[in-house]
Amino acid sequence: MARVNTDFIDEVRRSDGFDATACMHCGQCTAICPMGLDLLPRRLFFYVGAGLEDKVIENLETIFSCLLCRLCEENCPRDVHIAEDVRFLRNYINRKVHKLARI
Amino acid sequence: MEDRRIGVFICYCGGNISDYVEVEKVRAAVENEPGVVLAKTQMFACSDAAQDEMISDIKEKGLDGIVVASCSPKLHLYTFRAMSLRAGLNPFRYTQSNIREQCSWAHRDGGPFATEKAIRIVRAGIARARLSEPLATMRIETTPKVLVLGAGVAGLMASLTLADIGLPVFLVEKEPEVGGWTCKWGGMFPQGNGSDLVEGLLKKVKQREDITLFTRAEIIERTGSVGDFTAKIRVADGSVVSLEVGAIIVATGFDTYRPAEGEFGYGREGVWTLPEVKEWLAGNEGPLAVDGRPVESVAYIYCVGSRQPKDSELERPNLYCSRYCCSSALHTALQIHERNPEVHQFHLYRDMRSYGKYELLYEEASRKGSMFFRFENDAPPEILAESRRHIVRAKGQLEGDEVLDIPADLVVLVTGMVPRQNDALINVLKLPVGTDGFFNEIHPKLRPVETVMDGVFIVGASQGPKTLAESVASSLAGVSKSAALLKKGYVDLDPYIAMVNAERCVWCGKCLEACPYGAIEKSVLEGKEIASVIPSLCKGGGACVPVCPEDAIELKGYTSEEITAAIDALIEQVAAPVP
Ligand code: SF4
Ligand code: SF4
Ligand code: SF4
Repeated sequence: MARVNTDFIDEVRRSDGFDATACMHCGQCTAICPMGLDLLPRRLFFYVGAGLEDKVIENLETIFSCLLCRLCEENCPRDVHIAEDVRFLRNYINRKVHKLARI
Repeated sequence: MEDRRIGVFICYCGGNISDYVEVEKVRAAVENEPGVVLAKTQMFACSDAAQDEMISDIKEKGLDGIVVASCSPKLHLYTFRAMSLRAGLNPFRYTQSNIREQCSWAHRDGGPFATEKAIRIVRAGIARARLSEPLATMRIETTPKVLVLGAGVAGLMASLTLADIGLPVFLVEKEPEVGGWTCKWGGMFPQGNGSDLVEGLLKKVKQREDITLFTRAEIIERTGSVGDFTAKIRVADGSVVSLEVGAIIVATGFDTYRPAEGEFGYGREGVWTLPEVKEWLAGNEGPLAVDGRPVESVAYIYCVGSRQPKDSELERPNLYCSRYCCSSALHTALQIHERNPEVHQFHLYRDMRSYGKYELLYEEASRKGSMFFRFENDAPPEILAESRRHIVRAKGQLEGDEVLDIPADLVVLVTGMVPRQNDALINVLKLPVGTDGFFNEIHPKLRPVETVMDGVFIVGASQGPKTLAESVASSLAGVSKSAALLKKGYVDLDPYIAMVNAERCVWCGKCLEACPYGAIEKSVLEGKEIASVIPSLCKGGGACVPVCPEDAIELKGYTSEEITAAIDALIEQVAAPVP
C-alpha cells in the first residue's frame, strides 16, 4: 500500500526540473535500457507522478545506476527528457538524503 | 396455365456461377418446362447489354413473365423490376432465382450437385412465375410536414434544417425548457457554452413561422402510416391537438446513468457523477469547494455504468461504451485545472477512449499534470471514507500492481449514457428497441436513422450513445431522409401485402395479435365480423399467415399456391443425372 503524497508532487512541480507528464507508460525505455533494471526509468516516473516519495528514496541505487546514455530518450515515442529527469532525481536525493546543497 | 409465355435468363456471373454450376446444362434442363417459351444464358445478366436483350425478348416474344436466375434479390431485385417496367412487363411478374449465394457460392467444392441444385432452384422459380399475377404498387400522397419529438440540440437542429428545406415542423418537448442536457452542462469542447448554444438555436426557432414549438407536451396517439400520419399531442394546458404529418423524427435523447446508493461511494458528499459535476461547475464561479472544504485533489473513476461485464450480477448489464464520457471527463479536468492549476487530478480509467480530436484533451490534461492510472476490470477502485475526505484505493495495472491510496476531496464517477425510460412513446410509435434499450435502426451502417416503421426516424442519442457533434450529424441524416420522402410528394408501397378471405375468416383475432405493425383491424362485411388489412401499414411480413386457424389469410405474391408449386418443383427429381 502506498499513499499518494500531493505535497511531494507539488515540490517536484515547483522545481521545474522534472517533467514526465507526457509519459504514456509504454515501457520502451525500460525495454531498451542497457542496465536492465525493473524500475529504470518508467516506474520511477510513475512513483514521482503519483507522489510516492518513499518509493523514490527507497530506490536511490537504481536512480544512480543510470548511465545517462540517453538510449531510452532516443526511442521514447513521447519525447520525455528522461536523462534530465533522472538527473533531477539524483539532485533531489543529494539534497534530501545526503543533505548536500544544490549544485 | 400452359399458355403462359415465360422467359428464363440464366446468368454466368462471369464465373461466379459458371465455375461451379454448368449453366448450359441448367438451361437445357429447364427450356421445356411448361410455360417456358425461351431459355437463355447470359455472361452478366445485370449488364446494360443483357438487359437490353431481355427487353427486346420480352417485347418480341410477347413474354408475360420472366425468371432471372442469378444472384440474391438483395442485389438486383430493383434492377430487374425496373427493366421489366421498361419492357412493358408488370414488374411483379418477374421472379428472381438465386443460384449464386444459395448455390454456386455454397458448393465450391465442385461435383455435379451444384448443377442439379441450380436446376431445382430455377424450376421452382418457373413454377412461381407461372402463377404470378400482375400487381400494382400502392401510391400514397404524402403530407409535407414533419413532427419532431424532443427539443434538445438534435431536435432543434432538425427543425431548423427542415424549415430551411421548406418543410413545416411541429416540435414537441416534454420538459418546460428546450435544450436537454446540453443546456445544463456548461463549457463545451473545443469552444462555446451549452446554454448559449441552445439560446441561439431557440431564438432562431422562434423567428421561424414554419416551426411550431410545444413545450410540456407529449405524443399520446399516432395513426396512419408513412407519408400520412395523424399524431395527437397533449399540450401544456392539458388539451389535445391533432397534427397531420408525413414523417416523424424521434430525437428524445438519453438519460445519464445513476449509480446505485453506495456504488463507488455514491451518495456521500463529494462523490458525484460527471453530469452532477458539470452542472456544479457551470453553476458556480467562485473557488471550488465541496461542503465548505476547498477542492485540492480530484479522482475520476471511468466507465461507471458502461462496459459492465456480461457475467455481472446485474439483470441487464450495459455492455456498450458510452463514447462521450472519456472525452467529457478530460474536458472537465481541464476546466478544473483552469479554475485552479494547483488542484491534483487523478484519472482511474479502463481504456482511454478519447478518440479523434478529443485526443487533444488527453494530451493537454496530461501535460497539465493529470495523472492516469489504468485499472483492470476485475479490480475496480474502492472508495474509503477519511475525515471529510475520500480515499480512493486503486490497483494500477501498469504500475507493477502497486496499490495506491489517493486522497480526494471530490470523486467524479464518470457515468455513461442510458436509454430513456419511455414506454409510452415506444408504445405509441411501435418503435423497436435493441437489447441495450436504445431504439433500433434498420442497418447500423447503411440505414442508421430508419426504423421498421416507415416514415419514423430515430436520431441522436435516442438510437445509442453519441457526442453532441455525432447527434447533430445523425439528426441531419433524419432530416434528409424525411425530405427525400416528403419532397417527392408520394410514396409507392410494394403490393406484397396480406389479404383476407372474407368467407373463411371467423374473426378470432389471432392475426391481430401476430402483426407487429398494427396492420390488422376488425371490420364488418355484410353483417359479418372479419379481419381486414390496412394496406399502407402491412409490410408483407406474413406473421399472420401461419397463425390463422382457418387458412383465411394469404400474402399477395407469396400465396400458398405459389409456395406449394415452388416446393413441388424443388423436390421433383432431376431427370437425367448430370454426369
Ligand atoms: S519510452 Fe517514454 S513514454 Fe514510453 S514509458 Fe518510457 S518515458 Fe514513458
Ligand atoms: S539513460 Fe539511463 S535509463 Fe536511459 S537507457 Fe541509458 S541507462 Fe537506461
Ligand atoms: S467513453 Fe470512456 S469512460 Fe465512457 S464508457 Fe467508453 S471507455 Fe468508459
